[in-house]
Amino acid sequence: MRLILFDRGTEFREHFFPLTLSRPLWELRCGITSLGEKLQARTGIGDAACFLPDYLAATYRTRTKCPVNEVSALTGDDLFLVDARVKADSFDVPAGGAGEVGLNEQGEILYARVTQADAKKLSHDNFEAFLDAAKANLPHVNCGLATWNYTWDLILANPAQLVADYAAAGRHGIEGAIEQPNAIRGSKKDVYVAPGVTIHPMVVIDAEHGPVYIDEGAEIHPFTRIEGPCYIGKKSILLGAKCREGNSIGPVCRVGGELEESIIQGYSNKYHDGFIGHSYVGEWVNLGALTTNSDLKNDYSTVSVMLDGKHAIDTGSPKVGALIGDHAKTSIGTLFNTGSCIGAMAIIMATGKPLPKTIPSFAWFVEGLVTKGFGRSTLYETAAMAMSRRGRQWTEAEQAMWDAIFEITAPMRKEAIQKSRRAMMAK
Amino acid sequence: MATVAERVKAVTARVLRVPPEDIRPEHSFTEDLGAESVQSIELVAMFEEEFGIEMDEDAALSVETVGAAVKFITNVCKEQGVDVEE
Repeated sequence: MRLILFDRGTEFREHFFPLTLSRPLWELRCGITSLGEKLQARTGIGDAACFLPDYLAATYRTRTKCPVNEVSALTGDDLFLVDARVKADSFDVPAGGAGEVGLNEQGEILYARVTQADAKKLSHDNFEAFLDAAKANLPHVNCGLATWNYTWDLILANPAQLVADYAAAGRHGIEGAIEQPNAIRGSKKDVYVAPGVTIHPMVVIDAEHGPVYIDEGAEIHPFTRIEGPCYIGKKSILLGAKCREGNSIGPVCRVGGELEESIIQGYSNKYHDGFIGHSYVGEWVNLGALTTNSDLKNDYSTVSVMLDGKHAIDTGSPKVGALIGDHAKTSIGTLFNTGSCIGAMAIIMATGKPLPKTIPSFAWFVEGLVTKGFGRSTLYETAAMAMSRRGRQWTEAEQAMWDAIFEITAPMRKEAIQKSRRAMMAK
Repeated sequence: MATVAERVKAVTARVLRVPPEDIRPEHSFTEDLGAESVQSIELVAMFEEEFGIEMDEDAALSVETVGAAVKFITNVCKEQGVDVEE
């Protein structure tokens, strides 16, 4: 049996922009692990392959061991194809059995069970043709499977998912080094400190209201307070951080200041003071000192987000902070409005007041206006430098992916620049 | 219609708040006219608006003097089919 994860290039994936501009949906985090890891664990299938939009394929191949966009992966075994938006916890469809296709209310395939014999009869021209043929030839099941529909679903589910993932991991105890004095509150069964972790003196780990998982090689500096549920990723460093409940911090991050119910994908810096709450921060982001987001409106009404800069989407939640794309950088004192959407590779220079809620990818926000700034190559040089500082390489494949993202995001950026130009001319 | 040089001078004067009569072709935007990095971005934006063209940021920002800007913009206008008075 082979698990096939797929993230089709449909409009749906835009619900997760700017985070999915540069990665497949299943790489997003919620709790301790990614959505893909959860689906793989849930189905119990070790052999996996994946299909994603073509522009992501070359870069993603360097980050995964599984075959990427290889049609040959659709032969030679029984297949269990699962859309990455399916929530693993409630995915109760058995991997084995006769062929069938599970559809949502819109008739979109959420999963397909395709036996080796069935697969031989289906088109292998490309993945889309294969899925269409499966839908045309196999029995349909109208399934009510729960799905992730927007990035803020992940943020809002993070605390509960952390608890569930901690239980699933089945680890507890202290395997790293804890320098005294220190304080651990709550049950010791709710704390796991992995090998290679260094916890400096004067750190509080508060597991009274949820578990705390500190992964290999992490370093926790003095005067940090970590409140569970919480996950600190491999080789991340917390610098006197007020790490409130419900945070998932990916690998190789630097986190100081206050962080609450937020997800940081990895390799990002929020080194200094400033509050980030109910937010999702991508990779290679640098948040300047005192960068702060609002995650609650003064009237406690539900937060809306404008992913495309034009249409407000009601999140249904009174608490949503900022969605920040990969390689975004903020200056000191940046203030994000409630429900902000900051594009990948965006450069933000603070204005002293809350920014517009949507800033497009590759835009330079300067003097209160969206501009083209110093252009793409300057951004690439900075990205390459940031990556090299963490032992990662900016490759030709990476640049080709970002060139494609530049084109994908061009219409929204051009519109925002024109709007700013009109404002500039009117001054 | 004003020439490209006159229009470049007018935009430069407006953005950098320098009297137009003080601007000469050999003047460097940064060293002689005091353009800060943020103003360079604004200059590129305003030149695009003035001439109705789209410039490559890297190429545009590498232009150092007013005279070079006139040549650069004239070429871009030709490439993009925009009629201008040389």
